[in-house]
Amino acid sequence: MALSVNHRAIRWLRAQLPELVAGGVISSDSAGAIDRHYQASEARATSFGFVILAVIGSALMGAGIILLIAHNWDELSRPTRCLLAFLPLVLAQLLGFFVLLRRNDSPAWRESAAIFDVAAIAIAISLVSQTYQIQGSFTDFMRIWLLLGIPIIYLFRTNFGALAYIIGSAVWMLSKGNWSFNRPGEMFFWLLLLLVVPFYVKVVRQSSSVWAFRVLSIALIAVSAVGLGVTIEFTRSDLGGVAFAGFFAVIYLSGMIWQGGAKESLNVLSVMGGLGVAITAVALSFEALWHLHPSWESPSLEQAAGIGIALCFPIAAVALSAWSWVRRTIPFSISAASIPVVAGIARLVAGAASPAARPFDNPYAFAAAVLFNLYALVLGIEFLMRGIKAGSMARANFGLLVIAALALARFFDSDLSFVARGVGFIAVGAGFLIANVIFFRKRIHA
Amino acid sequence: MKLFRVLVFAVVALAQMAVPAWAVWMRTQTLAKGKIWKFRTAPVDPVDAVRGRYVALAFAAEKVPQAERLPPASVAYAFLKEGSTGFAEIDHLSTTAATGNNVMKVEPGAWWDGSQHIDFPFDRFWLTEKVAPEADRAYASSSREEKENAYVTVRVHDGDAALEQLYIDGQPLMEYLRSHPPH
Repeated sequence: MALSVNHRAIRWLRAQLPELVAGGVISSDSAGAIDRHYQASEARATSFGFVILAVIGSALMGAGIILLIAHNWDELSRPTRCLLAFLPLVLAQLLGFFVLLRRNDSPAWRESAAIFDVAAIAIAISLVSQTYQIQGSFTDFMRIWLLLGIPIIYLFRTNFGALAYIIGSAVWMLSKGNWSFNRPGEMFFWLLLLLVVPFYVKVVRQSSSVWAFRVLSIALIAVSAVGLGVTIEFTRSDLGGVAFAGFFAVIYLSGMIWQGGAKESLNVLSVMGGLGVAITAVALSFEALWHLHPSWESPSLEQAAGIGIALCFPIAAVALSAWSWVRRTIPFSISAASIPVVAGIARLVAGAASPAARPFDNPYAFAAAVLFNLYALVLGIEFLMRGIKAGSMARANFGLLVIAALALARFFDSDLSFVARGVGFIAVGAGFLIANVIFFRKRIHA
Repeated sequence: MKLFRVLVFAVVALAQMAVPAWAVWMRTQTLAKGKIWKFRTAPVDPVDAVRGRYVALAFAAEKVPQAERLPPASVAYAFLKEGSTGFAEIDHLSTTAATGNNVMKVEPGAWWDGSQHIDFPFDRFWLTEKVAPEADRAYASSSREEKENAYVTVRVHDGDAALEQLYIDGQPLMEYLRSHPPH
């Protein structure tokens, strides 16, 4: 895959070229061609280093300006302070115009100008607020800041800005949330996050920047997962299992379909999605997670919207699987893809218990947990088989790890004797060893 | 494409300027035209009041006795009235929007023991770095149980509330600090 470029290996190879020519292994023409081929990717790596330095530089300059202003702050009148609060913003905007007109092709200039501008907005708002005793909550401040910052991400095509925005939207949601009771407006989080998605899609399509794709993917997945957790809590709907199963399945399926077919190394979406599916499967194998807590109040409009958002993920996952099935190309693990369906069935089973029995141990919750125990076992085995087929040691071991995690979970929550647990551990350990030995032999003979 | 970007950035830059500028404009309007209300501060834990560059404020009026909790909403409207001591009290709360020089937007909190708890739109009095520690000490010692003599003045205009001044012993904070230098 074009995305995974090992810069260290390239540097090593380019250093080896003169030796290879001298040793007569390759001709000097070939050496020149190889050198030219890899020169471009090296240039990209250098420019990334420069971008980071430029961003740090502009952040330090911004901090310096604030310090200079703050030093004499106490002696200044209110209108003067107010004017000074706008100064960094004016400078940042002038720099912004300059960069758009003259340095639009330089990522380092664009990233720096964008960071400076976004920081200047925050400085202006907070200094004006202090000067005039204007007080909104931190949550309101974050929301205004995010909304003023989002156009900057698109105008300056800034990856750092997008990363900061994604983290910022999570900060907004967590500051908005309250564990004891619902605060209306929490679902606005999804709208905030949705605003950055087109930029992310663009980064995914232009596979020129591997780090941006990886870092933004991880941030987006982590923040969405937190958001989904808060949404589930907000809706009080007992849909957590189904929603998370669908969420990670969508990520896994998108990664695998986009990558197309089994390859030794997987892209970040497939890895994160696969990991999420496995963790969800093992978690849902605990009976306690199928204890339902029915809400007695009818859901508000916003809670209904939250339920809709939570259900979007399993629906999207099923649609993606169906689409692949119609096209007759199935590059993914079938058991991983079917987790939302299994979770849906388990939820229906658990919901069949009488309302009074739902929050406690009951036969229906037990049946749902048994279903997920079987499912996690099948998932582990399929991951193992697919890993072996793709010749990937890491993926084969990951399949084993799922089985081992499942075994561990059952040893801890069931009333087995110490002898039985001991034998179980030995069996799982032996499984790991034998599988890896077979794997090594197969590789050596291959 | 380049021109388009520059034009969009010009609009964005205006919006970035407009947000703080609008806040300044609103505040100066409220301070100039608003009706003055005096709010007595509630006793605070002196340790908790120390927050660097501002004094943390708490108000007795943030606890409104009423039989039922407010319906869930992100904002509520507090109708003010002047009590017999000259200090502002909450007449009643509502979740339907209202404006006027006796209405203040508040954030509804939890309800318990027959009282609806609310948060006023101001909970800190910003200070310059030099006077913050002294002010904090003065406010904390004047807001303890035995000696409640700190209050703030707030201007309310068309539903917007602007914190104006913090008074200790009947004097504006800065004057009080000048007449009570630290020992």
